[in-house]
Amino acid sequence: MATNRSGAAQRPNGAPQTKVCQFKLVLLGESAVGKSSLVLRFVKGQFHEYQESTIGAAFLTQTLCLDDTTVKFEIWDTAGQERYHSLAPMYYRGAQAAIVVYDITNQDTFGRAKNWVKELQRQASPSIVIALAGNKSDLAAKRMVEFEEAQAYADENGLLFMETSAKTAMNVNDIFLAIANKLPKSESVGGGAAGGARRLNDADAPRSSSCCK
Amino acid sequence: MNEEALLARASEERERIFQRYERGRDNLAGQIDPWEDPEFEDYHKTDRYGFIHDERLTQKTAPQKVNVEVEREKKWVKMLGSWESAATKEKLHRRIYKGIPNSLRIKIWCKLLNVNTIKSENPGKYQEMLKLAKQWSTDVRQIDSDVNRQFREHQFYRERYSEKQCSLFNVLCAYSMYNSEVGYCQGMSGLAGVLLMYMDEEDAFWALAILLSDKKYAMHGLYVEGFPKLTRFLEHHDKILTKFMPKLKLHFDKFGLDAILYSLKWFFVCFVERVPFSLCLRVWDIYLLDGERVITAMAYTILKLHKKAIMKLNDMDLIVNYIQVKLHKDFGFEDDVVIYNLERSMEELKRAKLDYPGPPPPSELPQRQLGMFIEPDKKSKIGQRAENFSETEKQARATVILRREKAALDLQELRVSQSDTVSGNLEILEASPPTSRTSSDVSLSSDQFTHL
Repeated sequence: MATNRSGAAQRPNGAPQTKVCQFKLVLLGESAVGKSSLVLRFVKGQFHEYQESTIGAAFLTQTLCLDDTTVKFEIWDTAGQERYHSLAPMYYRGAQAAIVVYDITNQDTFGRAKNWVKELQRQASPSIVIALAGNKSDLAAKRMVEFEEAQAYADENGLLFMETSAKTAMNVNDIFLAIANKLPKSESVGGGAAGGARRLNDADAPRSSSCCK
Repeated sequence: MNEEALLARASEERERIFQRYERGRDNLAGQIDPWEDPEFEDYHKTDRYGFIHDERLTQKTAPQKVNVEVEREKKWVKMLGSWESAATKEKLHRRIYKGIPNSLRIKIWCKLLNVNTIKSENPGKYQEMLKLAKQWSTDVRQIDSDVNRQFREHQFYRERYSEKQCSLFNVLCAYSMYNSEVGYCQGMSGLAGVLLMYMDEEDAFWALAILLSDKKYAMHGLYVEGFPKLTRFLEHHDKILTKFMPKLKLHFDKFGLDAILYSLKWFFVCFVERVPFSLCLRVWDIYLLDGERVITAMAYTILKLHKKAIMKLNDMDLIVNYIQVKLHKDFGFEDDVVIYNLERSMEELKRAKLDYPGPPPPSELPQRQLGMFIEPDKKSKIGQRAENFSETEKQARATVILRREKAALDLQELRVSQSDTVSGNLEILEASPPTSRTSSDVSLSSDQFTHL
């Protein structure tokens, strides 16, 4: 399953148009756990050692092709500092998916991730798909959070879980893909349910981004 | 871990981080992780402001521009000699709008901010705050992680633990003690980073202090818990859009694009990394002269100049990208043209009595005495996060949610009123139906909207 880097909805093999679903996804987690780096890896295939800190939030999109559906993610990447926490509802309200990120070399960030999960369970859409990402898996030598511990927590709470590395790209596409697979691709157009995808008509399918990138 | 162990751990961490900055780059040979210190290759090129670009610079400053700036420098040097004179006061406005010569920014910015006055009134204060920070600051970890990624493409900050990185770290740590209500908030590293491109460490500290607490700039209200000034200025920004560019406002609303989503850095760091650096400096020149209404007018000017282009973009990511990324890389207008328009915008807004959203209420100003030491509580010492939101945060949170829901409601009304004329197009636009979910802490009574 390849990521469609151009952002176009058209399938390259000229197969008949598939349906296009658009989902809002938000990234949450402690400062400097690698939220922006995960997005940068997923959207542009790049990694910056000194990714600048996010003020407020950043917005990016990426399209994934599943077998019969094209999924377009609208990604809101939020600031990690606690002070910005009160702005978070702006970004996660109406989101169909969330990735809560922690740093496997820092136990505190895992505790913080649990708090984010709790908040999403209370405040976000009840049908939101939540994934937990233990990032910086390339630094396994400095590991402070055990894989099994996080897996058990994810299982208890019905979360998708993967350890990822934005640096080596390990599991980055996979976690987005797992989310895409889990999201309901409802048929209803402009559906009323908060958890439903927005189905785009073929004519309205996202155009390939020809500028501003 | 028990509390004592946690406390010990926090204080060890602080000491370890401080030590590295004190030793500095030259004494840390072999101890800087490779990821902290990316290698820059020879073909990188530095521009006149110290930013290193990936590619050879194509636009060299035109020779006639250099000549003009040299001529201006002479006038400015003369003016600096009689700063308090009536003649200077008369010329200052016009000259600053033309742009301060880059070589003199270091002096003029200090003059405009009255750095020397506050510095001489507070002898030894900076060193005292820095010393306190070393023992007590609870923001060190966040500051460290932000210094490590602020302006890394600039020659001053490209090397880990370089002199300017150390200064940036020190200024922010000292300030976190000086203003105990704000401490350190992400965004401030951008402000201090720019100031340090032109000033030494102590001057930059006092310049930062003035930007936050002087009523002319009052950035305290932007960074303090709950961001009260941000909310107030965004409402004002919306008001301006509704009055002068209703179609554009509608265009944003159609895509659920709240101003907070595209303009946060305009307000927080005065356009740093949102417009090209040369233009950003011109706006800073004027901001330091005329204060906070410049930000309101510049926000308006950016949208006015790019209205046509933005109206053609029919996707939220295209719009956000255009405003946040494209305009930073290439603004599409000469700096002089933008500044000319900024000045016209200020006049236009003034005529409409929309140039200024009013003086800051007390909640946006420092309540505690600045520079007074308050021992942090145990929780913050350990670095533990608060379990619950404070009242201020709850309020901020509710405001944010209401803003979003009101926009969604407005859009729904719009759909209803336009349903005869607009075909399926609006159907795909997101407005998460505000009433489909009940939120525990926010209800949608109409009187609540009035505080928005």
